[in-house]
This record gives sequence, C-alpha cells and structure tokens, in this order.
Amino acid sequence: MFKGKSGSWILFIFTLVIVFFMGLLANSIMERRTEAVIMKKAIVDLGEWETRNEVWGESYPEQHETYLKMEGGEIEDILEENPYVSVLFAGYGFAKDYNKPRGHIHAIEDTRNTLRTGAPTEEKGSPMPATCWTCKSPDVPRMMEELAVDGKDGVAEFYRGDGGKWDNLGSQIINPIGCGDCHDPETMALTITRPALKEGYKALTGKDITEATHQEMRSLVCAQCHVEYYFDKHLDGQKKGAPYLVFPWSEGITADALEQHLNKRGADGTGHKDWIHAVSKTRMYKAQHPGWELWQLGPHGMQGVSCADCHMPYESRGGMKYSSHHVTSPLDYIDKTCQVCHRQPEEELRKAVKDRQASIKKLTVKAEELLVRAHFETKAAMEEGATDAELEDIRTLIRESQWRWDFSVASHGASFHAPLQVSNLLADCIDKAGKARLELSKVLAKHGFLGEVELPDLSTKAKVQKVIGLNAEKLKQEKENFLKTMAPKWDEEAKKRHESWDK
Amino acid sequence: MDRKKIILPILAGIIFGFGFFILYVFNFASYASNEPETCMNCHVMDTQYASWSRSSHQKVANCIDCHLPHDNFAHKLYFKAMDGMRHSAIFLTRTEPEAIMIKKAGEVVVQENCIHCHSDVVAQNANMLQGVDNKKCWDCHRFTPHGRERSLASVPNAEVPYIDSATPTWLKKIIEKK
Repeated sequence: MFKGKSGSWILFIFTLVIVFFMGLLANSIMERRTEAVIMKKAIVDLGEWETRNEVWGESYPEQHETYLKMEGGEIEDILEENPYVSVLFAGYGFAKDYNKPRGHIHAIEDTRNTLRTGAPTEEKGSPMPATCWTCKSPDVPRMMEELAVDGKDGVAEFYRGDGGKWDNLGSQIINPIGCGDCHDPETMALTITRPALKEGYKALTGKDITEATHQEMRSLVCAQCHVEYYFDKHLDGQKKGAPYLVFPWSEGITADALEQHLNKRGADGTGHKDWIHAVSKTRMYKAQHPGWELWQLGPHGMQGVSCADCHMPYESRGGMKYSSHHVTSPLDYIDKTCQVCHRQPEEELRKAVKDRQASIKKLTVKAEELLVRAHFETKAAMEEGATDAELEDIRTLIRESQWRWDFSVASHGASFHAPLQVSNLLADCIDKAGKARLELSKVLAKHGFLGEVELPDLSTKAKVQKVIGLNAEKLKQEKENFLKTMAPKWDEEAKKRHESWDK
Repeated sequence: MDRKKIILPILAGIIFGFGFFILYVFNFASYASNEPETCMNCHVMDTQYASWSRSSHQKVANCIDCHLPHDNFAHKLYFKAMDGMRHSAIFLTRTEPEAIMIKKAGEVVVQENCIHCHSDVVAQNANMLQGVDNKKCWDCHRFTPHGRERSLASVPNAEVPYIDSATPTWLKKIIEKK
C-alpha cells in the first residue's frame, strides 16, 4: 500500500489528518479543564471574624494574587535622606525612626520593627499605646468586639490595651491589613470596620456612614486610616482616660479647620499636645497623613475620582473584571490608571506628576530650613535668658508653621493630590516661620545677642540624633532583643489560635 | 523497504498537521477578510468594537477602513501583516495594556483616512489638510467614534461577537453521545 511516490503521499496525508484530529481532541480536553477551573472556584465560609487574608484568598484568587504583589517593597529611610526631618520631630517618635510607607502586607512586620514602638520586655512595656495597632490589621475589629464584655466599651478598652500598652495586644494583632478591614465577610460589600471613621464622618457631615454611596465608599474604606488623627484622653464617659482615636473633623477638613479642632482640646480646653519639641520646647501638633482630606480638595477628588480608581485600578483577565489589590502608586501601571481617562502618552503623564512633585519639593526644602533655624534660635533665646512669656507667641507661630509643613508632606501623595492647596499651605508655613524668626531676632537682641545663631552639624541622621540627645544604637539593640525574644512568642500564640479556628 | 520513505512522510505529516491545527485555532482564514469580527478574535478590543458598533461611523466604515492605509494594495497588506504580528506577540505573551493607545504609524494612517472620506469638509480650509500645528482630527473630535470608555475593564459586559469554540460541533456531538 505504501509503496512508491503515491504511497508516500498517502502516508503524509494520513499522518497530517491524524495529527490535526488529535489537536482537536487536545483542544476539547483543554476546554474541559478550563471549565473545571471556573466551576471549582470554591467559596469558603468565612464566618464572622476570619482575619487570615490567605483564607479569604481561597475564594477570591485574583484579588489575593494581586494583594501578594505588595510583598517585598524596599525600605527607604526618610531621616537618612533628609536629616532635617529628625530635627523637626525632636522629642517625638518620628525622630527615632521614619521609613517611607510600604505595602499593606508589611503592616505588622514594619510596626514591630520600627524603633518608635520601642522594645517591650516582660518588665517594661512599649512607649506607645495599643491605639497604634488600630490601622494595622483585621484582627483589630475582632478584638474590639471581644473586649466589649460586662457592659464595657470594647473600643475604649482596645485603645487602653486591655490594661497595658501596645505590646499587651501583640499576640492578638497578627494578620496584616487585608480583606476583612474593608469587606463584609458575608456579602463582600465594602464596609467600615473602624469606629473612628464612623464617628468622624458623623461629626463632619451629620450623616451616618452607612448612607454613603458605593463610589464614596471606594475612598472611605481608605479613610479609615489615611487621614489626620490624634489620641484624645479627655473624652467623656467610658472613654475618659483612654488614648481614644479621634479624627479632628468637627470644624471641617482643611488644615486650618483641623487646627481649630485641636486648639480646643486638651485637659483644660486650651489646646491638644502631641509632644513638646526637644529643642525649642514648643507644644507641637503632629499631622499624621491627611490623604483623604487633601485628595478631595484637589482636582481628582473634586471630580469624584475615588482612591480605588487610581490606587486599585480595574484589571481584566479573559472576560473577568476585578480590582487590583496591589495598592501602590498609580504610576506603576499608567495604562490601567491615568490612561483610562487621559489619552496622553505615558511619559507625558508621568512628567505631569513629577513636575508637580518637584515644584512643591522646592517649597518644602525652604520651609524645613526656616523651621529648623526657628527651633534652634528659640533654644538660643532660652539660653540667653528669654522667658516662656516672651516666647509664647513665637512658639505659637512655630507650631502653626510646622503643622502646615507636616500637613503638606505627611500624606506622601499630597503634592499630586492637591498641588494648589499644598502650595498655599507651604506659603503660610514659610510666612509664619519667617514671622517667628523676626520676633526671635528681636527677643535675642533684647537679651544682648546680636549675631547669627549657628546651627550645629546636621548633615547626617546620626549627627542630628546625637544633637537632639537620642541614643539610636541603644534603641536598635533593645529592638533586636525584642524581635528575638518576645515577637516569636506572639507568633506562637497566634498560630495556636489560628489552629483552634480550623477545628 | 526504504525506511526514509516511511519516516519522512510521517515527519512531514506531523509538522504540517500540527501547523494546520495551529492556523485553525488561530482562526487564520478570517484574517484574509475585512470584517470587524476578525478584530474580535482576541477579546482584547471589546471596548473599541462596542463603542464603534454604536457610533455614527458603524454604518459607513469598519475597523480597517480607518486603521489600514488605502494608498496602494501592497502598503495595506504590509501594514496589516506588521500590525497583526505585533498584536499576536502581545496576545500570546499577555502583555496587552488595559487602555490601548494608538501608535505613531497608526495615527498617520487614521488621519489620512479621516481626510480621505471627509475631504469635502476639510477642503474648505487648506490648513486642515496640511494638519494644523500637527493637530489630529481627534484632538478636538475626542470621542469620535470610540466614545470615552478607554479601558478594557470599562466594558466587561459589552455585547460583542465572540469567537466560537475551536472544537467543531460534530466532534462535540460525538464526544457527548458517548
């Protein structure tokens, strides 16, 4: 049969048909496999308090896969990059250690590692209250619920650290910021789990936060943490004495309005205090990260473009559409963010952002220089014999000036979110610092000092920390000891708890 | 018997059989056509198809009328082949962007095609034919014809033609009977 030329042709065509047919069969098998992948997508029953992100991830693989992309962000030391920041925060935790923010997935790790939370041992607690955990984990609302026993206010009890400091809840707060912080475990709808936002939203708008629209919720879930806040120990009732987390929005959301709120707080209603500045002895306010406040004052916020629209853009895989849970800079994937609305090429859009950042950076550098000088000139005036009464107005100017600088830089994205508002804030900051220095020169002259106040060497983080009396080496050693001894015990306890949930 | 005479035809049969199968799965024959449905083979341009199919241009122009050059046949074929190969590479490596942006070469072609059909309008102003300050028609006519939805994820449920399963119906029938 297969002899001769025609035989070869027959063999060729026969093989060709067989292979083609096998291809069709293989294709059919692959289609069936795809069916299985789609149909076998299990929906795990999450219960009310499942806080492990990987368990949620079993039901929502696309969201969880993108969430995991946050792993491994680089640690960038702001104090090393700009030692003046350490001067401006002298006497406060941020002078010890201040890194640029990393992904949500590192929240617990980075909170344990930072020198700001100290090195608790069995004998000595952390310098920070348990309130510092509030933004770090879906375990937080779980604990607030668990501590609400015997008619106690579970939220206030949480901030009280169940009778201890930050470290007292260390074994409970384990899973990094994730699914349960923003999603209802039953319906997956966006939900607010942090009482501070519910209370702040009510104070600001008079409305209950459950009335917010879905598009508003796509920013409000972020506003649970990315806002200005402070700890108020002077509230009434069960909250009294607890370092209670408050968003200072009673007067509005601008830097001026928030400052007015803080000016009315404190033990006797004459002003809240975050810390006393180690160099100038000024009562200071720390602006935390007023991202939500500044975003809505800027062009994108005014148009109703939500946080998630740019920081958690929609992606599609096949016919499926989902939000990326790789929360990061929108510049990392311009085709999914800017270009969904703007049709300019990528380089042009990137440049538009970078140009705004660069022009505002010029102002912050000027502001920092003036503020650092004002702090040291106040110190010099004190050394020349100036009284607190003489320095009162000057310190007010310094506080107001630094508040506006801090408000501009602390949320990290503000120079793009609201460039005009930030430029105005920095202009006010520079104006107030200039006025403070003018008054300082008068006070110094009155006490017989006519020269220029020399600044110490502030060229590196280490030199600055020495000047402001910080022993960073000692703090680091203690921290290492904590990470070797206490932290593993927390993890061990958590592991047992997680295992008990699976039974 | 000569072993070469058996092995060679079998080898060639495998290569050609597999080759034809790949072409078949690619829906290769459709690329010879001018139909917009061909551009939907990859489910990557759903947004563009959906916006075009509801636009005023839908009645008078399809994808290639605007997006391929029509100055001469060889140029058209060359442009189509180059675009097609680039698109295949992007599709196979899953590197398609969420919001598709037109390339420089594509801009030139589309601009020429705008003028080709709308010459009666643009002829009234010689500057327009020259291109005013390098402006393109769509710098002003921003949403013609593709609307303002730009991202693939913007229209997840758009009514667009989807390519049929590569498993032929007769084979499915045989498999399911068993």
